[in-house]
Amino acid sequence: MAFVELRSIRKQFGDHVVLSDVDLSVEKGEVIAIIGRSGSGKSTLLRCVNGLEAIDAGDVIVDGVHVNDAKADLRALRARVGFVFQSYNLFPHLTVERNITLGPVIVKGLSAADAAALARQALRRVGLEDKAGAYADQLSGGQQQRVAIARSLAMSPALMLFDEITSALDPELVGEVLRVLEAMAREGMTMLLVTHEMNFARRVANRVLFMNGGRIWEEGPAAEIFGAPRTEELRNFLGAVLN
Amino acid sequence: MIRDLSWIDPLYLVLALRWTLGLTVLALLGGAPLGLIVAAVGSMHRPAARWLARGYVGVVQGIPLLAWLFLFFFGFPIFGIEVPAWLAASFAFSVYASGFLGEIWRGAIQSIPRTQWEASVSIGMSYVEQLRHVIIPQAVRIATPPTVGFMVQLVKNTSLASVIGFVELTREGQMTAAATLAQLPVYLMVGALYFVVCYPLTTFSRVLERRLHGVR
Repeated sequence: MAFVELRSIRKQFGDHVVLSDVDLSVEKGEVIAIIGRSGSGKSTLLRCVNGLEAIDAGDVIVDGVHVNDAKADLRALRARVGFVFQSYNLFPHLTVERNITLGPVIVKGLSAADAAALARQALRRVGLEDKAGAYADQLSGGQQQRVAIARSLAMSPALMLFDEITSALDPELVGEVLRVLEAMAREGMTMLLVTHEMNFARRVANRVLFMNGGRIWEEGPAAEIFGAPRTEELRNFLGAVLN
Repeated sequence: MIRDLSWIDPLYLVLALRWTLGLTVLALLGGAPLGLIVAAVGSMHRPAARWLARGYVGVVQGIPLLAWLFLFFFGFPIFGIEVPAWLAASFAFSVYASGFLGEIWRGAIQSIPRTQWEASVSIGMSYVEQLRHVIIPQAVRIATPPTVGFMVQLVKNTSLASVIGFVELTREGQMTAAATLAQLPVYLMVGALYFVVCYPLTTFSRVLERRLHGVR
């Protein structure tokens, strides 16, 4: 079985169908970019993978865990699946270091010293080793997002989910965050990312999913999706975002 | 028999203040943990849990404090348990405090953005861990002014315990006033003693608010 398996999942909010008949398998080490217009269901799809949203039909299986099974140990799963949000969502009452050590200490039971070492290492990976003592409101958006990535990395995740993590950033801050993502991709991290950064998706993703109307409309290697779109919808979408 | 107001009377009033403060402390010792549970249950996802907390708060707030006092003072003996006035009053005030604190704290917890819950659940934290390490530390700042406001009310409301024979500051004042007929000086002193307790509480609340890190 693949590392992540979505089997004909369906999700609706009231009468509004957000996802229908979505099938997807992701192998370890794959980097998958999910593109599409807003409202096409791409963020919801991502949130279904770690159980932030419950699905109405189908099955989500991550690392052998049936996410929507009432008996599933979601806590243990989430400790292995990182999630980075568009709005960073750092804990504002804690320093950068405590933001990062909270999960390792509370969830994994690491000692404070081990967790602090882990935090330093994670901060080095995102280039912010000098910010350990800062609070979120003393950092720029790009720095906050890198801390959020470090917070996930410190849990040593087997899978990382990124939900439009550069969309709230000023343009000049996008690059520093994307460079961190690229480095993670090179190191073999399994990644699912919802993104509007088409150049980044083309360069880094093994596979690109184009979502439209709650379905995976087109999917394939980045070169194919961007170079030879098969459907009218994808051509229109690319025409709109690339110009 | 009427006697003159003497130097010993203010002393008795100050000593009676002990019981006012003692009852307040007991009410908080019982009411705060219970209130925390009410707030935590009332903030859960599960609708049944929220209804339970809401029902509890509704009952506690809907029944007058006076009735709670009578309920505990005359209720326990029905089951063959004699309780002294201070104990019955402590139970009544604990229940009363838990209802109001529970509701204040639930409101503060729910004012923390949903994204903080999502970020903390996504690193694998349980509901109690989320509350303890992420949500409550931020909610404290929001909850401090109304909590202290309630405590000030509580200090003053302890005077109601006199109806079941508990002698605290107000009751002591009444007795002194009745014995000396010096109503105005006596009640001015009583008022001043309440002020001496309540005003620093309010000031302390402002200091606390400034010192706590949070969503700024």
